[in-house]
Amino acid sequence: MKKMHIAAALTASAALVLTGCSAGGADAGSAGGDKIVVDMWAGSQDDTAALEAQVAIAQKANPDLKIELRTAPWGDFFTKLTTNMASGNMACVTGMNSGMLSSYTAGFAKLTDEDLATAGIVKDEFADGAMEILSNKGDAYGVPFDMATMLTYYNADMLGETGAPVPADGWTFDDFEATAKAATTDKHAGFGIGMGGFQWQALPIAKAGVQPVKQDGTLDLTNPAFVDAATWYGELVTKEKVAQPVSSASDTGWGENQYSSGMAAMAVDGTWNAVGYLDNDPGFTAGMAPLPAGPNGSLGLVLGSGFGIAQDCDNKEAALKVLGSLLSVESQDYIASSGRSYPARVSSQPLYFESLPAEYRDQVQSAFESAFSNVQGQYVTDNWSKIDTFIQPQLVSVYNGQESMANVLKTAQSQFGK
Amino acid sequence: MSNGTQTPRRGALAKSESRQALGFVSPALAGLALFTFVPVALSIVMGFFDWPTVGEKTFVGFDNYVKLFTDSPDFWPALRNTFVFALLYVPISVALSYLLALSLHSRIRGRGALRVLFFIPVVTPMVANVLVWKMLLQPQGLVNGLSQTWFGIELPNFLADPQWAMIMVVMMSVWQGLGYNMLIFSAALEQLPESVVEAARIDGATGIRMLWKITVPLTSPSIFFASIMTMISAMQVFVQPQMLTGGGPGNSTQPIVQFIYNQGFKFQDLGLAAAAAWILFAIIIAMTAAQFGAQKKWVHYEH
Repeated sequence: MKKMHIAAALTASAALVLTGCSAGGADAGSAGGDKIVVDMWAGSQDDTAALEAQVAIAQKANPDLKIELRTAPWGDFFTKLTTNMASGNMACVTGMNSGMLSSYTAGFAKLTDEDLATAGIVKDEFADGAMEILSNKGDAYGVPFDMATMLTYYNADMLGETGAPVPADGWTFDDFEATAKAATTDKHAGFGIGMGGFQWQALPIAKAGVQPVKQDGTLDLTNPAFVDAATWYGELVTKEKVAQPVSSASDTGWGENQYSSGMAAMAVDGTWNAVGYLDNDPGFTAGMAPLPAGPNGSLGLVLGSGFGIAQDCDNKEAALKVLGSLLSVESQDYIASSGRSYPARVSSQPLYFESLPAEYRDQVQSAFESAFSNVQGQYVTDNWSKIDTFIQPQLVSVYNGQESMANVLKTAQSQFGK
Repeated sequence: MSNGTQTPRRGALAKSESRQALGFVSPALAGLALFTFVPVALSIVMGFFDWPTVGEKTFVGFDNYVKLFTDSPDFWPALRNTFVFALLYVPISVALSYLLALSLHSRIRGRGALRVLFFIPVVTPMVANVLVWKMLLQPQGLVNGLSQTWFGIELPNFLADPQWAMIMVVMMSVWQGLGYNMLIFSAALEQLPESVVEAARIDGATGIRMLWKITVPLTSPSIFFASIMTMISAMQVFVQPQMLTGGGPGNSTQPIVQFIYNQGFKFQDLGLAAAAAWILFAIIIAMTAAQFGAQKKWVHYEH
């Protein structure tokens, strides 16, 4: 009898376990049938609403399919994606960012020209360099819906009060230092030092004119030009004292937060935040300019996000159609005219500027056009996320004068450049 | 005779009840199987494989364990950090919460309210606690601001200094966990046998002597329980360093669980993460067993 009880309990447990598993499977985007799941990050109600609007456009274009949207905040999205990939539960249409792609290529299907034709994507209709955004070692893993690069944002009120020179198109690193020094007072810093990968590397790359990774994916952190430029960057805190030292390695958005809260006169951040900075909470007048130019010009990286197709998607053709609809003219026009991000589709780009308040429009357009005129796709190594994770907490020690930038880069090179 | 007729009835009732109990417990058993047994078994297997998130899994035997001990630059520092944290945190937390429970044991006014106040950090979300501590400790924060205003002294950048960062993680954790152990000790102190206490008083025991010879031995089972649980949670510390210091500066506050998290979720090396998790498990089991072994010498159970 006891054996029967145990057997009954185990059967019940197994039934529940299996029910749980199959329920997970039914939700999966990669499951068969006519349901296509779209998985994308969204940090706010506005983000979710904008994605829902794009999904509605895709749904209208594909009435025979059922499109379901799943979202998670940026910070959780990639953890969730890792788990989904490991359990074979990745959504058929999954969002991806240029900086993160190298760690996730195994989960995405390589997109061939036939795939793009099925999706209705014509490469020439996208901006120059846009298709590089979600490519890795020559293979395309997705199509971008937006493109971005890094800009210098400034607090025009703060610069006005201190009489600091205002950043402008064509400005140099000497001009940058002059502005940062003039805007530094007891109350606020001239510059918010960066902690995020894009944010801290943008100025060193622009100054050195080289990336810390070679085009073939070899790590090149100890390239003398990059080391010099990165050292200069760290010294903005320790030597020039135009930036506040970071208070903790967990403050990943330190410089941008300092800027947006009115504690720093300038910061480097992506074009994706342009509208957010113009509508900042403290209410200061925000301005933007391209990155300053070094001796070899001002090298910027083209970044962006888009959608790819899961490697194990059972209904690839339907997923491609959904992907095509999410990047259709109508959808791209929507994200452009809502001012949410700068679309990758050329014909939609003017709508982005038209969506901005008239007083900012010319300045933003000029900064964008100038910044995008000298961009290069980001080169990354296969273990780039490890390098990023290693360097970020080390930067805190650099900014607090306990470690040299050259040493950090040398250690990272020897540890990850094998 | 009556006993003889009642016994089978009780047996039938017991069987029926046990069947019902089994029915009620089966969802919990299913949960246990799904969320405990399966992951545990899977993680043992994972530890012996090169197990990327996606792609081919390769059996590598003990290579992950060897790699951790010989070729992983962050593993030893993470172990060291975990031990440093536990060595600082456990005694401070247990001792302070015991003192707090003792202070609130006397019949002072409003002790119930005070206990609630000290318990608030335990039930407040850790994210909120960390935010407050960051606001206190950053260079432009309250602590440094007051120090400069009152004494003209500029304090270190606590969370960015390798020496101070760990101390601050410990301080914040002690503050956060104080109320939990305090409640356990308060409950134990409330149940001190009056006869023993009274006898000790009649014999002239007061103050420290009373505390050391009577109160502590009588509450030693609670102290043992609190020490075990606090040690286990200290060895598994993750959220405080992850959110307060990001494991930095460098890797000076990265504990072993954050190392496991990074290997598994950031670097997608699930085999290495599983191996590290089993090493942590072995350490915790060994330490707990050692504590159970040592308890015979100092824990006083009333029989």
